[in-house]
Amino acid sequence: MISENKRRWLTQVYALAIKEYLQIFRDITLMVFMVYAFTGDVYFAGSGVTLQLRNAATIVYDADRSQASRDLVRQFRPPYFSVEDAISMPSFPVSGDPSRGGDSELARGDAMISLAIPHGFERRLLRDESQSLQMRVDTTHSIPGYLASMYSARIVNDFAMRSSPLLSQLPPSVTDFFPPLRDEYRTLFNPNQDEGWFMSVSQLLNVITVFAILLPGAALVRERERGTIEQLTVSPLSPFQILLPKVFAMTSIVLLGTFLSWFFVLRPVFHVPSRGGFPLFVAVTVLYVVTSTSLGLLAATIARNMAQIGMLTIFLVAPMIFLSGAWTPPEAMPAWLRVGTLAFPLHHYINASYAILFKGAGLSIIWPSCLAIAGLGSVNVLFTLRRFRGI
Amino acid sequence: MSFRRIQPARIAAIAVKEWREIVRDRLFFALAFLVPSALMIVVGYGLSLDVENIPLVIVDRDHSALSREYAYRFISARYFRFMGYASSIDELDRPIKSDRIRAVIEIPPDFEKNLIRRNPVQVRSVIDGTFPSRAQITKGYIIAINGAANLDLTAREISSLIGIPEVVAREKLQPIRIEARYLYNENIQSRWSIVPKLIMAILLMSPPFLTVIGVVREKESGSIYNIYSSDVTKSEFLIGKLAPYVGISFCNSIVLFLIATLVFQVAFKGSVPAFFFATAIYVICTTAIGLLVSVLVRTQIAAMIITIIITLLPAVLYSGLLFPISSSTPAARVIAHLLPAMYYTSIVDNIFLKGEGWAAAARGSAILGVYLAVLFFAGYSLFSKRPSR
Repeated sequence: MISENKRRWLTQVYALAIKEYLQIFRDITLMVFMVYAFTGDVYFAGSGVTLQLRNAATIVYDADRSQASRDLVRQFRPPYFSVEDAISMPSFPVSGDPSRGGDSELARGDAMISLAIPHGFERRLLRDESQSLQMRVDTTHSIPGYLASMYSARIVNDFAMRSSPLLSQLPPSVTDFFPPLRDEYRTLFNPNQDEGWFMSVSQLLNVITVFAILLPGAALVRERERGTIEQLTVSPLSPFQILLPKVFAMTSIVLLGTFLSWFFVLRPVFHVPSRGGFPLFVAVTVLYVVTSTSLGLLAATIARNMAQIGMLTIFLVAPMIFLSGAWTPPEAMPAWLRVGTLAFPLHHYINASYAILFKGAGLSIIWPSCLAIAGLGSVNVLFTLRRFRGI
Repeated sequence: MSFRRIQPARIAAIAVKEWREIVRDRLFFALAFLVPSALMIVVGYGLSLDVENIPLVIVDRDHSALSREYAYRFISARYFRFMGYASSIDELDRPIKSDRIRAVIEIPPDFEKNLIRRNPVQVRSVIDGTFPSRAQITKGYIIAINGAANLDLTAREISSLIGIPEVVAREKLQPIRIEARYLYNENIQSRWSIVPKLIMAILLMSPPFLTVIGVVREKESGSIYNIYSSDVTKSEFLIGKLAPYVGISFCNSIVLFLIATLVFQVAFKGSVPAFFFATAIYVICTTAIGLLVSVLVRTQIAAMIITIIITLLPAVLYSGLLFPISSSTPAARVIAHLLPAMYYTSIVDNIFLKGEGWAAAARGSAILGVYLAVLFFAGYSLFSKRPSR
């Protein structure tokens, strides 16, 4: 008898899941955009965007035009800097103080840095007089601005130390010692700092989040709008039986998209590693998608129509994407927000995913993140079921 | 097909009907105003590119006075949060993998002995490279600290060799100083850089979601047939549909501007009317994106998915919010040029931080105006009052 009940239970759930699949797969426009999001969108993010300092447009006002000044300018080289000599520009000050030059280029955004080398630069250098160079940096974008000024300082310091006459008076046995500290840098997990890895994975996680929250939320709200949910609630189905097929169908669709993305974009194009094992990543993804799906359903129990669920989704998803840790390191946030982001399942999912894929972490390391995702998921499910009974 | 004159009265009728529908849906009406401001406050406080308090561990295998002095340079730097000493890098595998440590400085044995004997010493830094931008900045901090340490050690050595004071030796080693001036964002604060552009991002995300349901809902429920059979022209219908949402979003832009200047204290250096002129055009553009999608698709679900794919996901990458478009690859630049966000970002930067006025607004607004014309033409030609099914 029990097995009979179980079978009926399963048949009912199965029938409803099939219904969800058909509704999604028959919407051709929706399918096209989903495929695009998991492939094209991830591809463009991974191949196109860089956070590093690249080809910072640098205008050099070299009023000295000496051997030394040319030597210094040559140190500003690609890939960080792309130097343009200001002599060809109409704004080049023929004589006098060049330090104000470049302002219009900076204001227009044509240049990011202007460097002025004053007249008599080489003479002062040979005479062992100290002097200063004027540099202006456009810091409307704080990160490249900061990096540009940091690299320039390093270039000028090295150049200055090399050309300091003090060292040339010393015997080679002593100068060989300088610089005393030979700094060596090792970057773990992504030694070539391949940004395609980071960006493509980050975008995939965002796409997963968007679909996992919006698809089930919208599906449930549509049923509420049309009234078909009434038919289900008066049927002998339990609330759990009504919601489970939605969670199951949406999770499997998002997972399908993830496979698509992994095997057609991340692996072949960007060679993203899966050092901790792809199966573990898939397992965590399933956990995460179920949690997010139930969050979407929870939102759908609040919203009465599609317009409302749209705004609610933006309200839920945008802070997650911005604040879950892909862009902002948690330490840089105010304490109250840092605690707040712990309630974002995406925060834990990002940590777990990067740890598995890049750092080769196993379950023994990422279990706290998994536990957090599962905990948040259970809360979502409980609330959704409670609210759903009240619909 | 003849082109009939646009009648303001009919536009008003559509707009009033739409407005009533919005106001009567109280939750939606509240969300339309609450969501942008709430996002601005939460994301404005949270989204920061400042890399500080990087958790750091030092492996000191020398335990000498000099090695401690060197280690102290890192411990006292505000960029790092010192988590303690460790005896070898191997034992840090776990904390690094679980993101509790992001940088390790390793001081080799005989650090002091070698320095005294004038043998150069290898110091190694290990950085977690998972997040490339964080890694790059962390490396920058370590380079700067190592540079300062080198200068001190060299100056000390020279002063004892030729008997000049250390201060003089240091000055002689650094005959060129670089005087950097940071324009537009004088203290290189990430907040100044991000908050104005956040107005752009929020006005890209929320207005399309207000409109996107507008037409497709009528298609799904069938009430669109009232329009099909009425004498309202296509452009009247589209403009009337758009107007209330543009109004809401423009009000929101004023609130966002006030949050940026009053709550986040970002200095507004340019012309206020110029800023709002450009903002109005931008808001019409982003609202129209939602309407265009709404005209194109048949189901509300597809409408929302498409909107989120073309607005929310690109809002970070292709808008210039976090990093300049100029450092992207050509493919990404093409995408960026297809969205209105990039043009408005440069308007925001120019007026907000660089203190420009109408000239900057006019330049960007002209492009946005063309963009809007294309959107409207597309909406006009794709919207048919004689549907095929």
